[in-house]
Amino acid sequence: MPILEVRDLCARYTRSGPEILKDISFDVEADDFFAIIGPSGAGKSTLIRCINRLVAARSGSITFDGRSVTSLPARELRSLRRDIGMIFQEFNLIDRMSVMDNVLSGRLGYTGNLRTLFRAFPRTDVQRALEMLHRVGLEEHVDKRADELSGGQRQRVGIARALMQGPKLLLLDEPTSALDPKISREVMGLIKNMAQEFAVPCLCNIHDVNLAMEFCNKMIGLQDGVKMFDGPTAEMDQAKLDEIYAMEVL
Amino acid sequence: MLSTLDTDLRRTALSADEVLAIRRRRRWSMLAVVAALTVMVVWSIDVTVIEDTDWERMGSVASVLESAGRFMGVDWALFPDLVKPAIETFMIACLGTLLGVIICIPAAWFGAMNITPFKPLTYPLARLMMTLSRSIHEIVWALFFVAVVGLGAMAGIFALAVRSVGFIAKMSAEAIEDINPGPVEAIRAVGGNGFQVLRYAILPQVLPQILGVIVFEWEINIRRSAILGLVGAGGLGLVFFRQMNTFNFPGVTTVIIAILGIILVGEVVSYFARKAVI
Repeated sequence: MPILEVRDLCARYTRSGPEILKDISFDVEADDFFAIIGPSGAGKSTLIRCINRLVAARSGSITFDGRSVTSLPARELRSLRRDIGMIFQEFNLIDRMSVMDNVLSGRLGYTGNLRTLFRAFPRTDVQRALEMLHRVGLEEHVDKRADELSGGQRQRVGIARALMQGPKLLLLDEPTSALDPKISREVMGLIKNMAQEFAVPCLCNIHDVNLAMEFCNKMIGLQDGVKMFDGPTAEMDQAKLDEIYAMEVL
Repeated sequence: MLSTLDTDLRRTALSADEVLAIRRRRRWSMLAVVAALTVMVVWSIDVTVIEDTDWERMGSVASVLESAGRFMGVDWALFPDLVKPAIETFMIACLGTLLGVIICIPAAWFGAMNITPFKPLTYPLARLMMTLSRSIHEIVWALFFVAVVGLGAMAGIFALAVRSVGFIAKMSAEAIEDINPGPVEAIRAVGGNGFQVLRYAILPQVLPQILGVIVFEWEINIRRSAILGLVGAGGLGLVFFRQMNTFNFPGVTTVIIAILGIILVGEVVSYFARKAVI
């Protein structure tokens, strides 16, 4: 039974606007590192944001862990989002807060408003955050402000924040696009190790095909909102890639 | 004027008579404008200065200088009586700013396009609050509150609070509209509610800017509270008014010096406070 089932997903931002996604269907299994590849503007970011409903799908169904994402009321939507970690291209950290606060913010879905107001997280959360920071190699930077870190370090904070949630799925939106090639590979490796260790499946937008081939076991290829390929990474070849990226050459 | 004349002349072949006619017409219209302005100025001087001034009381130039001279000198005996009103002025400014900041919380929240809870109603409401606050002078607000809550410092506090909302809320709302949306997306993605987004993703981004605005407004409020006493709303202004009414002119000068003193203190504190937060 797949952890995530997407069926006939369509999305557009405005009622009369262009269709961003057209009838996309795919399954993510519990042990997948699943890549979504395609040229920029293909709809990768929109697709990944439909999964945790940062963007509302227009039609189609998304079933995550037995729950229908598209029809949840606000409170249940928040508890669904708790179970889905997200890592962003631009890290989306809170720059003026400490690394520790940023990692702890991963627990906000489990935290009441009064505790939020005073940033008073329970001891167990702090211990967990310290452990996560140790795991991503930032134990030296616990009390630094997030904007003092380098790009690679900032993304490690993003990884720690996402894993603080104890997620059942990780959404990765171009996690390495803002990083140089060497750091990109390190960060992808770290994500993959952590995902395996915590047994979390990943759904990863990525435009760097080499990285996708290296780290992912399955992929779908998007071109202009249409799914062009769906299968194990091993079945992807140059001809299919050329087809998916054909538009970009123009 | 001259350049249009030049193009007119260049465009068509004109005789000397025609050119002179055009120039005469221009001259007359110019004269008419100057004449109209002169009439208005003379009329204004007649109404406001000639008819409205008590010339007999003013007397000669020497007596005018003598009247001004009465303000020279400082009434040192008044100083002990100024300590309490000066402190009161300071307190009115602080409490007025604080109350204003509290009123600003909903005003800035409703007035920021990206977080306003119900755009068609709350956004215009907040903008109306801001405009109302700024378009009415603090003295008029003070008169209103003196009429409502009676004479004393409380009227001054309310007047300053209401007067401060416009600027603080407007600047805060604009800061909120300019935030980086990335952290908002991140906090929503971890399952945060609206309050948590506000606390974690928005507040840290705008707080330094808003604190700077508050300190700036506080400094202005010290100036304002120093004169509110003129209409009975407490502080140094009341002493000023009393000295004036009892013709104790060196006393007036003393109060002005005291006002200058606390404004200077406010400016120094404001300078360092704003440097610290920004």
